[in-house]
Amino acid sequence: MKLPSIKFKLPKLKIYGIDVIKNALFFTFYIILTLFIIAFIMAPSIKEFKSTKNAYFLSEQEFENTKQTYQSILEKLTKLQNQNQKILNAFKRNFNKNNFKLFAKNYINIIKITKQNTTPYKDKFIKTSYMITAQIKSPKNFYDFVDNIKNYKNIIRVYFPIDFEKSNKEINLTFKIEHYKLTAKAEEKAH
Amino acid sequence: MYSFTKAKKKNYFKEDTKLWLIFYFISVFLYVSFALFLLVKSYFYTKYYQSNNQNIMILNTKISSLSLQKENIKLQKTLYENIMVKNSLIKDSIKNLLDLIPDPITLNKFLLKKNSLIIYGITPTKDVYNLLMLPPLESIFSNTKTIFYQMPNGWYKFKSINTLKGNNETAFN
Repeated sequence: MKLPSIKFKLPKLKIYGIDVIKNALFFTFYIILTLFIIAFIMAPSIKEFKSTKNAYFLSEQEFENTKQTYQSILEKLTKLQNQNQKILNAFKRNFNKNNFKLFAKNYINIIKITKQNTTPYKDKFIKTSYMITAQIKSPKNFYDFVDNIKNYKNIIRVYFPIDFEKSNKEINLTFKIEHYKLTAKAEEKAH
Repeated sequence: MYSFTKAKKKNYFKEDTKLWLIFYFISVFLYVSFALFLLVKSYFYTKYYQSNNQNIMILNTKISSLSLQKENIKLQKTLYENIMVKNSLIKDSIKNLLDLIPDPITLNKFLLKKNSLIIYGITPTKDVYNLLMLPPLESIFSNTKTIFYQMPNGWYKFKSINTLKGNNETAFN
C-alpha cells in the first residue's frame, strides 16, 4: 500500500515583493525563541546574579561592621593595657627575696624570709606564701610599709598571722605575705 | 540550446531568510553573552562573599581572643585592687587594735589571726582591764577569755584570747 504523500506549501502573499506570511512566521518564531531564552537562560542567570550580589553586599556590610567592632575592641584593649601596664607587668614578675628586703629596708628591717607553700589561685594565678621575721622601731614603720607595698614591683598581700612582740627598744614582727603571679599558661594567653 | 545568460547558482536560502537567520544568530549570541556575563559576575560575587565570610570568621576569632585578653586584664586589675584594699584593712586592723589599748595597760605582745586575737600585757589591776579594755574587745569579738597572773609587785600579767564566730569575719574591720 502506498502512503499518501502530504505536501504542504505555504501560501504566498506578496506585497511590494515581500513575502508577508513567511516573514510573519519568522517574526513569531523570533518572539517564541526570545521568550524561551528569557525563561530558561536569562531569568535563572538574573536570579542567580541578584542573589549572589545581595549575599555579597550583605557580607560586605557584615565584614565592615565586624572590622569596626574589632577596631573598637582593639582600641579599648590597648587603652586598658596602657592604663594598667604597671599591674600587668607586676603579675608577670617572680619574687626575689633580696630585692624585697631592699625595698622593705626603708620601713622595716627584715631578718628572715621563709618560703612556705605555693598554691594555684583562681585558675590563672599562683599564690606563694612567705613568712617574714622583721624588726621595727614603732608600729608606724609597719603602717608605712603596708601603705607603700602598692609601689613594689610584685603583687604582695600582707596576711595573717601577724605577731607583734615588744623587745627592749624594738618590736619583733612576724607576719605572712602572699605573692601573686600569673600562671605560665595565663601569661601566654595574655599575649 | 544557446542562452545569452549564464546559469546562476541557486542560493540555498533566500535573501530575506538569510537576514532573519543572521538576526536570530546575533540575538541569541547577545542573549547568551549577557547571561554568561551575569554568571561570571555571580561567580566573582560568590568568591568575594566567601572571602568576606572567611575574613569575618577570622575577625570573630580575633575578637574573642581580644575579649578574653580584656577579661584577663580586668581580672588582674580587680585582684590587684582587692589585695591593696585588704592590705589597707590589715593596717587599719592593727592601728585600731593599738588605739584600743588604754594608757594604764602595757601591751607586750599580740598575735592577730584571721578569726582570733591573742593579747599579752600588764595591767595595774583587774578592774582597770575589765573597765577599760574588756568592753571594746567584747563589742568586737564574739568570745573573749582573759587569764590573769599576779606579779610580785601586785600588778597583773594577762593573756586575752578573743575569737570571732564567723569564718569569714576579720577582727577590727
